[in-house]
Amino acid sequence: MSKLIQAHNLHKTYQLGRVEVPVLRGVSLDVEAAEWVAILGASGSGKSTLLHLLGALDHPDSNESSISYEGSLLSSMRPGALNNYRNKSVGFVFQFYHLLPELTVLENTILPGLVGLNRLQYLRRIGELRDRGAELLDAFGLSHRLSHRPRELSGGERQRVAIARALINKAPLLLADEPTGNLDRQTGEEILELLKAQHRAGLTIVMVTHDLTIAEQADRIVRLEDGVIEPAKESHNISR
Amino acid sequence: MYQALLTNRYLTSRVIPLLAVAAVALCVALVIVVVSVMTGFLDMVRDSGRKLMGDVVISHPIYGIPHYEALLEELTKTSGVAAATPVIDSWGLLKMPYPQGDSKTTRTVQIWGVEPETFEQVTDFSTSIVWRQVEAYSPAWQYLLEDLFTQQSTAIIEALDLDQRIALLCVIKEDPELRDATPEDRLAIANQLSLESWQAILRTAARVPTLTEECLGTETWQSILARDPRLITPDAILEDGVTISRDNGTIPGIVMGLHVSELNVRSSDRTTVPHNNWYWWMPRFDVTLTTMPIDQKGGIVTEPSSRILPVANEFQSGVYLIDETRVLVPLDVAQDLMNLDEATIVDEFDPDIELGVDPARTTMVLVRAEQGLTPEELQVKVREAYTKFYEGLIKEQDLLVWPPSPNSLTLNIMTWEEQQAGFIGPVENERRLIQTLFSIVYVVCAALVLAIFWAIVYEKTRDIGILRSVGASRTGIVWIFLRYGLVVGSVGAVVGLGLGWLVVTNINGIHSALEEPPLILSWIFFVLAAISLILTVVLSWRGSLLPLVLGLMITVLLTILAIGILLLDGMGGVAIWDPSIYYFTDIPSSLDWWSAFGTMVGAVVFSLVGAIIPAAKAADTDPVKALRYE
Repeated sequence: MSKLIQAHNLHKTYQLGRVEVPVLRGVSLDVEAAEWVAILGASGSGKSTLLHLLGALDHPDSNESSISYEGSLLSSMRPGALNNYRNKSVGFVFQFYHLLPELTVLENTILPGLVGLNRLQYLRRIGELRDRGAELLDAFGLSHRLSHRPRELSGGERQRVAIARALINKAPLLLADEPTGNLDRQTGEEILELLKAQHRAGLTIVMVTHDLTIAEQADRIVRLEDGVIEPAKESHNISR
Repeated sequence: MYQALLTNRYLTSRVIPLLAVAAVALCVALVIVVVSVMTGFLDMVRDSGRKLMGDVVISHPIYGIPHYEALLEELTKTSGVAAATPVIDSWGLLKMPYPQGDSKTTRTVQIWGVEPETFEQVTDFSTSIVWRQVEAYSPAWQYLLEDLFTQQSTAIIEALDLDQRIALLCVIKEDPELRDATPEDRLAIANQLSLESWQAILRTAARVPTLTEECLGTETWQSILARDPRLITPDAILEDGVTISRDNGTIPGIVMGLHVSELNVRSSDRTTVPHNNWYWWMPRFDVTLTTMPIDQKGGIVTEPSSRILPVANEFQSGVYLIDETRVLVPLDVAQDLMNLDEATIVDEFDPDIELGVDPARTTMVLVRAEQGLTPEELQVKVREAYTKFYEGLIKEQDLLVWPPSPNSLTLNIMTWEEQQAGFIGPVENERRLIQTLFSIVYVVCAALVLAIFWAIVYEKTRDIGILRSVGASRTGIVWIFLRYGLVVGSVGAVVGLGLGWLVVTNINGIHSALEEPPLILSWIFFVLAAISLILTVVLSWRGSLLPLVLGLMITVLLTILAIGILLLDGMGGVAIWDPSIYYFTDIPSSLDWWSAFGTMVGAVVFSLVGAIIPAAKAADTDPVKALRYE
């Protein structure tokens, strides 16, 4: 299998007033294409930070740190290319869904598709985009919610919309930050089933969680403690 | 394209942008109203100046310009001159017909002696004549009739034969003695009545015109009315005004500015009605004009000149200062009063020896330009014409009196604007000052937009993080808020224009409402306050604080408005635009479209300026922090 994303020696320190708080201390992680990696760790272990670095929402501190996607270093990309990376290559799913309250379910779903379209492309592709958005939402059982606002939806429904949004541009990599953390058990399982189905279809997933039972759904579990990966505790779930 | 979608949604689904639009609209409306009124004011000053004076004025005060007829002839031959008219400008005292009793009011007035026909060609003054028609049986007509029957009672009685006199008796047929009398008895009574009794009967007849007409028959009735042309021809009053005379041009009259007399009262519909239900209608009365002529050596002639003149009509130029002080009389009357008429020059040592004639003079000549010629261009032509007139006269060897030389210091040939510079200059400066001061409103507008957008950016911080996470660029984020500012500025500017237009075009109505507040509005506000109070109680019953606060605020506001109107009414209204201060009787009410357009552009630009800082802040927001923002 080829490596989709490779992180090497990632360091990240946050400044809280005068105090420096090291969050990541030399984390390295390789993710194969079509692999599902769960990053397991307690609160404050740096797992969300790792996800933000992988998704180019933030950048590592050290020059020795590097992240490469399909062999290209993110640190050498120009801002436009990084925007394009976030838009086309990566899909984010957050614990608190992060949908725009003023947009409808369908508009939220196609938002990444709209970003980066100029007026002419918009006129040409809006129909196609809407159809794909509606298709995805239909597949996620939300066809009756297209024109609803996020506040009219349940937590599970909102998370499904967030996943649909992450998939709208057919990004090969899904970065999920505690995707079930805000949901009840049953709804959480439904969301995991949905992710599993996407994974089976070839989607690479890097999922952050603090729940071992959820992490066990993944191909591989990476344990993060105090900003470092515990090599001994890295395990492959071969029973899947 | 996502920016358009987001801007649209942010604008239509939140209250905050509406507040920003309202703030911009109010700023724009405020500037438009103030600048429009000031510009309109200046335009009115200019318009009226030109209307009252023509384009160019030749003036030689006090001593006047002799041989002015030749000058007028020269001017009318000059190309570019549409018309020219002589005017005598002087000051005098006017004894008014009021109050009742012997001690009458006297006012200082500016006397303009004019030649009605040419004066009309230069100034269109007939359009400013106030009383244009006397409708039969209207209050004015009724008073004219009573005046006629009182003042000419003897003549009227003497013109009636015995049968007509007996017929006239029927107007007092309710008198028991007459009611039961036979025709023979009536004849006997008619023969016995003294002149005083007939005069008393006429006074009674004047009060019952329809009955009198019935008794006398239409023909006799019309012949009596014909003694005052205003009673039989409704337009005669206008003709009197235009010709500055009475009785078909036979008696020279006076046309007074509408506010020279203090008895023309401005009513709430902005028209003027004579005091005491038309009793003090000036064209009924005579006034006495007294002047103090100045002799050729600059001293005062010992004897003042006085002339009783019937009021032919009144004029309203719209400039209060003029309407309050100026009276128009025929040129020859003014020349006579000011000793500027033709006179014989006699030998200083032997008054019996006549040396020649001192011709009549005029102190000003007003000149009107033909269409397309500017006052400045006309001024050059008038100077040339004057020089030509002067040079033509000095060739005549036997001339005893010379007009002032074209280079004389006391002779002025000025455009109307130069003549009125003392008046127009301060108004222009005032307008510039107010425009500059009100430009601060733009800064207020920008500050409001900045404050509101700053709040919006805070509110939308997480959205910014979400947008960055799906690939939105920093410039894309900036553009969202700039578009937002552009739309808020544009919508605010258009709403402000509409609001400003509404206020400017109805400004006189609004002012009238302040002068005489409609009481019904007060009761409407009281009722609305009561409804608002009931709704507040019902809505806040569940314990929510917001409906209670909002409801109480609205209730208090409506109550204050209602009480305010009552108080305003009690104080007799507030006249913000006092014509005696602002010169004009009406507030300028036309929108200055150019400055309105400029204001709108300014509002959009300053809204963008207000939006750009929050937009830059939004673009600089760290997406990770933004996503964590709660």
